[in-house]
Amino acid sequence: MIEVVQLAKSFVSGSGRRRMRVPAVVDVSFRARDGAITALLGPNGAGKTTTLRVLATLMRPDAGQARLGGVDVTQDPHAVRASTGVLSDARGLYVRLTARENIDYYARLRGVPAAVAARRLGELAELLDMGALLGRRVDGFSTGERMKVALARALIHDPQHLILDEPTNGLDVMSTRALRRLLLQLRDAGKCLLFSTHIMQEVEALCDEIVVVAHGRSVAHGTAEALRAQSGCATLEDAFVTLALAPPSGAAG
Amino acid sequence: MNAALAVFLKELADALRDRRALAIALAMALLSGPVVFALVSNLVSGIEEQVARREVVMVAPERAPTLLNFLQRAGATVVAAPADWSEQIRSGRLQNAVVVPPEDFEDRLARGDALEVEVSYDESHDRAQPLVGATLRMLQAFNRELGMQRLLARGVSPRVLAALEVQERNLAAAQARGARLLFIVPWAALIVAIVGALAVAIDVSAGERERGSLEPLLMNPVPAWAIVLGKWAVVMLYSTAIVLLTMAGFLVSIRLITSETLAALMQLGARELLLFCAVLLPFAALMAAVNMLAATFGRTHKEAQTYVSYIAMAAQFSAVVPIFLTVRDSVWQLLVPSVAQLTVLMKALRGEPLSAFELLLPAAVCAAGLLGCLYAQARLLARESIVFSRG
Repeated sequence: MIEVVQLAKSFVSGSGRRRMRVPAVVDVSFRARDGAITALLGPNGAGKTTTLRVLATLMRPDAGQARLGGVDVTQDPHAVRASTGVLSDARGLYVRLTARENIDYYARLRGVPAAVAARRLGELAELLDMGALLGRRVDGFSTGERMKVALARALIHDPQHLILDEPTNGLDVMSTRALRRLLLQLRDAGKCLLFSTHIMQEVEALCDEIVVVAHGRSVAHGTAEALRAQSGCATLEDAFVTLALAPPSGAAG
Repeated sequence: MNAALAVFLKELADALRDRRALAIALAMALLSGPVVFALVSNLVSGIEEQVARREVVMVAPERAPTLLNFLQRAGATVVAAPADWSEQIRSGRLQNAVVVPPEDFEDRLARGDALEVEVSYDESHDRAQPLVGATLRMLQAFNRELGMQRLLARGVSPRVLAALEVQERNLAAAQARGARLLFIVPWAALIVAIVGALAVAIDVSAGERERGSLEPLLMNPVPAWAIVLGKWAVVMLYSTAIVLLTMAGFLVSIRLITSETLAALMQLGARELLLFCAVLLPFAALMAAVNMLAATFGRTHKEAQTYVSYIAMAAQFSAVVPIFLTVRDSVWQLLVPSVAQLTVLMKALRGEPLSAFELLLPAAVCAAGLLGCLYAQARLLARESIVFSRG
């Protein structure tokens, strides 16, 4: 379970006289259940990635709380990292290492016993259809192949929480399908999955719950159907546009 | 500790697969010995040989048989100056002085008239000074002998003139004339310790940022110090291997290339090279951490290269400052890394005894600096601006 309560985070931009604070996340709250796939849906610059980075313990929030499995990200980042797998926007693979070496490296860093890691990698390779890739060096891999390696690496320790930042960016149909299949399987195994996207099809095909984020605020939360009903629109896309463009309710304008 | 080991093993495999960087590092380690010794040997032995040969270059020696006779008695070889001697002096092909006796040398000598001998040379050439000095000294000796003969002929004791007798005693070790150039040997070793593992230091820090792999790496439940320690250990291992290889190259080069003159000038055998390693490795450990820290500020290899090259330059040039200041043996020299190493190595090379203090103080300074750099780097990895701004 991932819980985010009134999260806020801003950045300092420029220096000297031009120095100013730019808010990235103003007020985001939501809850992502175990055994469900939750989407953070929002236009570019809405604050999705920043929210995910706070959840991944790499950024400290200015205000509000974020808890994964009941553990606060600022109080025990170590425990949060141990129970979480992250597929970040930057895949960040080592090109001179083989796919297997890339994945084994993280297994070792996370203290997964070698035998367990090998068994798990076998399962993941089958699910992602990447058995042939394992022995090859990552240099020269396609976008889809890199995603698969990075995803297997994020899952090698069997995390309870999986955070994915725009996972389908640049993927072809086959890779997207393999990814979806795996995510659904993880959901059925009771994992808590949270991903950010701006692609509607993705959300309709995959997600149990949707959190609409706009201008650094969470503006709506519910199933696709509930969002359509809330906005009075026929399609999710229209619903999204209506909700995302609506003037922010509450205090600040 | 397991995490640090995992980082170490991964970075080691990664570094060893970077063939180009590996080839460059190996070439540098293997070539620096031969190049340095060929260079120093050539410079030093050139000076030594010519001085030892006591060559005097003279225009038309047949004009001055008396001078010729004196010089030959003094053990010098008189060489007739080539036709274009002034041109050769200017271009540096002829570094010795050229003596030009007047045409009526013998007549004037016989009459006891004033005698003028012109000596031409260019003191800006690096080998000129000892050669020119030797020629001038021989002319002065000739002058003294002439004077004494004339005084004796007049029945005056030569002692009347020699009220003050100057006895020169050069306190520099026997062959110290070329010794000033010797700093090139430890300097080359020092440079190898500074830049030998630069490519790896940049790859494990700025490379990690450039690839975008730092962000996922830091999401592992591993303390930053373990990551920094593992990476530093690889840079250090690489640097150590290169320093050791370079020293092995030195050892071989001494045997193959070095002239006898150079061999007599310096103490450099297996024992001294072990001392070189003992002095250089703590320094290499510090430089590994300094380079990694500086490169972490770079978002790309290229940016990191800029930062690191300034540091390498500063370290290389500060090392030789004391040599040109001609200050010796002050404690501050032992407190400044790179300056300390060169000072200590020069002493070892001159065969002077080294105290434990001189060996341990620079090593302690390096160790303290190393810990500081590793700590700073671990802190740096927690900074959002480092983790998320990419090139």
